[in-house]
Amino acid sequence: MDFLCGIRGRDFVMVCSDTSAVQSIVTMKQDEDKLVPVDSHRLFAISGEAGDRVNFSEYIIANVRLYALRNGSQLSTKAVANFTRSELATALRKSPYQTNLLMAGYDEGSGPALYWCDYLATLHHMNICGTGYGSYFVLSMWDKLWHPDLSQDEALELMRKAVAEVRARLVVAPPKYLVKVVDKDGIRTVAEL
Amino acid sequence: MSIFEYNGSAIVAMAGKECVAIGSDLRFGVQLQTLATDYKKIYKIHDQLFLGLAGLGTDAETLSQRFAFKHNLYRLREERDIKPSAFGQMVSATLYERRFGPYFCQPVIAGLEPDGTPYLCGMDSIGAQETAKDFMVAGTATDSLLGICESLWRPDLGPEELFETVSQALLSGQDRDCLAGWGAVVYVITKDKVIARTLKGRMD
Amino acid sequence: MMRISCPLIDGPATSAAQDACGLRELGVGGAPVDSFPLPAVQDIDSFEREVVEYVKPNHGTTTLGFIFQGGVIIAVDSRASQGSYISSQTVKKVIEINPYLLGTMAGGAADCQFWERNLGRQCRLYELANGKRITVRGASKLLANTMFSYRGMGLSMGTMVAGWDEAGPGLYYVDSDGQRTKGKLFSVGSGSLYAYGVLDEGYRWDLSVEEAVELGLRSIYHATFRDAASGGTVSVYHVTQEGWTKVRGEDVGELHFRFYPDPAKHPCNSVDPLAV
Repeated sequence: MDFLCGIRGRDFVMVCSDTSAVQSIVTMKQDEDKLVPVDSHRLFAISGEAGDRVNFSEYIIANVRLYALRNGSQLSTKAVANFTRSELATALRKSPYQTNLLMAGYDEGSGPALYWCDYLATLHHMNICGTGYGSYFVLSMWDKLWHPDLSQDEALELMRKAVAEVRARLVVAPPKYLVKVVDKDGIRTVAEL
Repeated sequence: MSIFEYNGSAIVAMAGKECVAIGSDLRFGVQLQTLATDYKKIYKIHDQLFLGLAGLGTDAETLSQRFAFKHNLYRLREERDIKPSAFGQMVSATLYERRFGPYFCQPVIAGLEPDGTPYLCGMDSIGAQETAKDFMVAGTATDSLLGICESLWRPDLGPEELFETVSQALLSGQDRDCLAGWGAVVYVITKDKVIARTLKGRMD
Repeated sequence: MMRISCPLIDGPATSAAQDACGLRELGVGGAPVDSFPLPAVQDIDSFEREVVEYVKPNHGTTTLGFIFQGGVIIAVDSRASQGSYISSQTVKKVIEINPYLLGTMAGGAADCQFWERNLGRQCRLYELANGKRITVRGASKLLANTMFSYRGMGLSMGTMVAGWDEAGPGLYYVDSDGQRTKGKLFSVGSGSLYAYGVLDEGYRWDLSVEEAVELGLRSIYHATFRDAASGGTVSVYHVTQEGWTKVRGEDVGELHFRFYPDPAKHPCNSVDPLAV
């Protein structure tokens, strides 16, 4: 069962995903990176059916990069989010992609942004968010612990608590997790849990 | 569970004396899970015309963008803002285009006609128009909203009284609905200004 | 009309109790619990499945209970819903079985109310027959036996039986499938996953009584915020050697603004709702 979650802090966004690649009831591998970079300061966290997940994200990322090459400027996180939503919404009534995603980014000027988008193409900007059964345990905990001036160390602690809770309570909890952060310096992996 | 109830919403619009008001709740949820409490369902078309879209969130977003686009084209061609009654026809026609694969949204249109008379109109998801002289409701809390609107609404309310009436109706109505609430926004449209306020409501 | 008899409900202990006290002669205790008339249909299984839809059980609930150094804490919300309609915000979801025993309600409101009231009756009869209070273990077993005897018949109930007996604090989870589990920390209902998130993060054995009450309150509050089917008020009970006391009863409408006086600082508000 895919698990994604994200936290928007004062000047960064931190996202966490499990690293399982699953086929039917079999775990095929434990080092799948579902936190894929779009450009230097933006990344997608994608869950859902394996084929849809990879195809959709590659399509979006290729188009976002093409835009940057053609126009000599990068799209903002808001623009990427709305472009993604639009493509997902168009596909919804033709052949829908079964993918839920979080979009994290950092822009000069507007700062950190975290968007939540489900397979129906419902898009919304959020401070804390998650997908999958794991989010049920995590969101309430973060409601209590989150504050607007969160530092990166505090956010990582929140991630650790979240993963510990999912491991303790969720029957189908994945074994390994990856945490990445996006801030003014770009994308970094900060922990493997 | 109906697809119209997937995200949850409550919308009320009321007519007053040379003013109209429209309000919505702020919950964004997926079935029983609340994800955000800053998600309004009201979109501004122009200073004298607001549109509320209840129902499935993704379709509301798509529709609001299509209407903004259509209104921009209208303005370029006609060099004026669209009249609320004309906009009502446009919304209706746009929805009926998808007669056999509808957008899962119920629109509510609230605006002032150029002569200052209030215009209120609601629709089903395929564009059957229903105009009203008093109030219009949509969303998951309609049953409770209709009752409270019937009892609170009076003819010829001024802007501040209208704001109070819409606010009370919205807050009471959504308090009986699991899927709507978590605060609200209300816009009162008058000839020379728009009053926009957020309401504090129950957060459960 | 067919009838089923359920000897398990009036097990040996209660039958003895009735005889010992002469209750049967007085016409007390012979409540029509031992047999319910069954509908005169061919296929009772599919009929029961259909009928559950008409009874519209109250599925939305958050309840929790945990044992700590200072006793047992029980906390519940108070919302009853039928589909997405809120039918009541003032439901009493803690059933006070006797001064030392509490039961919580989740699932079908009628099933919980009836069978926990019935449990209270059985516990009282046990007391009269044996001259001592029933243990939490015993009480929860009586309820579980009742549930097991009705399994597959559409009852819907998820309950915690909490109390204090000679063995100290006790907490059991009993549901309509007949499951009965002893434990230190449980949460039941549609909002239970949210409650677990807060509860697990804040739970320690050596919590002070104030901290424990606050944790119970906070866990239910956060569940009512995230779970649409939970809400109303939060009630917190504390069980000690002296029996239970109700320690808190607070309206969630006010509680939220005490925890988050400034809406701008709440994690679920990240965009200006007035911007058009």
